[in-house]
Amino acid sequence: MSLTAIGAAIAAFTGLGAGLGIGIATAKATDAVARQPEADGKIMKLLLLGCALAEATAIYGFVVAIMIILFLG
Amino acid sequence: MLSVNLWNVLWTVINLLILYFLIKKFLFKRVDEVLEKRQLEIEEASKEADMMIEEAKKTKAEYLQRIELADEEKEQILADIKKQGYDEYERIVNDARRKGEQIVTEAKHNAEVENERVKEVYAAQLADMVVEAASKIAATKHSTENDRELYDKFISEAGAKNE
Amino acid sequence: MNIKEVLKELLLEDKTLIHMPFGNGNCDFNKSVVLSWVFILVVFILILIFTHNMKVHNISKRQAAVEGFVIWIRGLAVGMLGEEGKDYATYIVSVLVFLACSNVMGLFGVVPPTMDLNVTIALALVSIIMVEAAGIRSKGVKGWAKAFAQPMAVIAPMNVLELAIRPLSLCMRLFGNILGATVIMELLKHILPVGLPVPFSLYFDIFDGLIQAYVFVFLTSLYIKEAVE
Repeated sequence: MSLTAIGAAIAAFTGLGAGLGIGIATAKATDAVARQPEADGKIMKLLLLGCALAEATAIYGFVVAIMIILFLG
Repeated sequence: MLSVNLWNVLWTVINLLILYFLIKKFLFKRVDEVLEKRQLEIEEASKEADMMIEEAKKTKAEYLQRIELADEEKEQILADIKKQGYDEYERIVNDARRKGEQIVTEAKHNAEVENERVKEVYAAQLADMVVEAASKIAATKHSTENDRELYDKFISEAGAKNE
Repeated sequence: MNIKEVLKELLLEDKTLIHMPFGNGNCDFNKSVVLSWVFILVVFILILIFTHNMKVHNISKRQAAVEGFVIWIRGLAVGMLGEEGKDYATYIVSVLVFLACSNVMGLFGVVPPTMDLNVTIALALVSIIMVEAAGIRSKGVKGWAKAFAQPMAVIAPMNVLELAIRPLSLCMRLFGNILGATVIMELLKHILPVGLPVPFSLYFDIFDGLIQAYVFVFLTSLYIKEAVE
């Protein structure tokens, strides 16, 4: 039981990558908006898209963690 | 959780296709028809408007030309009217003259007739007087004195009557 | 009821709703399929109501709304597809409608159809078939086959591999996101059924669902755009 919990915790580490990625993307987007406030809408759209894509990795980790808990626990 | 059933995949594909056809047939097609119709109408209207503008321009040019012509025409008409008026004037004057002449001749004629009549009356009186004088002379003894007296009287009577 | 049981009930329940007497259980209809029927019917009725009695002049507010919506959503699709891929706008729009409807199903207290792996697999399959068909249609079979060796012949295996990776990524991203959102919502509802789920529902059911629908459609149109260029 404790090992599966550790496994799920390790799977949840994928959130690290997603968090870093979204953080970097948001920082860059903020920079871009500061530099070109008129391109606000386009940047927002791209940022949302990028965040959704980066978030997907975290979601993979989440799914894996749940599967570990459900099927191995 | 992860069970995959090919039939259900197929059902979902069919669902998606159904949705695709519904959207295509009932939403996009209908809206497109309306939009297209409207577009056509707008194009037609703008074409018509263009045509109308063209026509208006043509009409305007025509009118300008006609206005220029009208100036000439106006002068022509004025001249015509003047001439007509002059003719009328002439005619009236002529009429009046002719009438006047007629009146004058008539008056002359009347005067002549009257004159004649007066003359005739006068001649008749003269004849009567002559007859009377002759009868008087014949009735009285006549001497030179008497004669002269008589003639004088006669002449003065005649003169008085004739005046 | 502990969390594990909640999860088990949510994730391991039997997904079939209509059992067919024949086909040994292979022809059964999953809940997701039946739910798709429901929202397709709703969308159909809405379309019929909105496009009923369309006129060219003196349009009603209803018609102005539906015209504006059609122009907007098609502009969105064409903007993602580019001018060359304009023919696929209707497909993109219908996938968008399908995903948007099914992702916000969580609002109504039912499990979203996209949480069923069968649905996302089907969508991803149709998408990849559409992408390759668009490539074949615009370049011909030869051009399409040659495009695998672009920009270098060395990466041809990668391009071939992408044929499998792309739909897998599309389907797993969508499935995982909706699964995650639903699980979190379910857990929140388990903790405190009143009040607490409302703001989270706004995020997980509406915002995340629509974003994922947009991402799916965006990636599909990106692939189609790449294929027809």
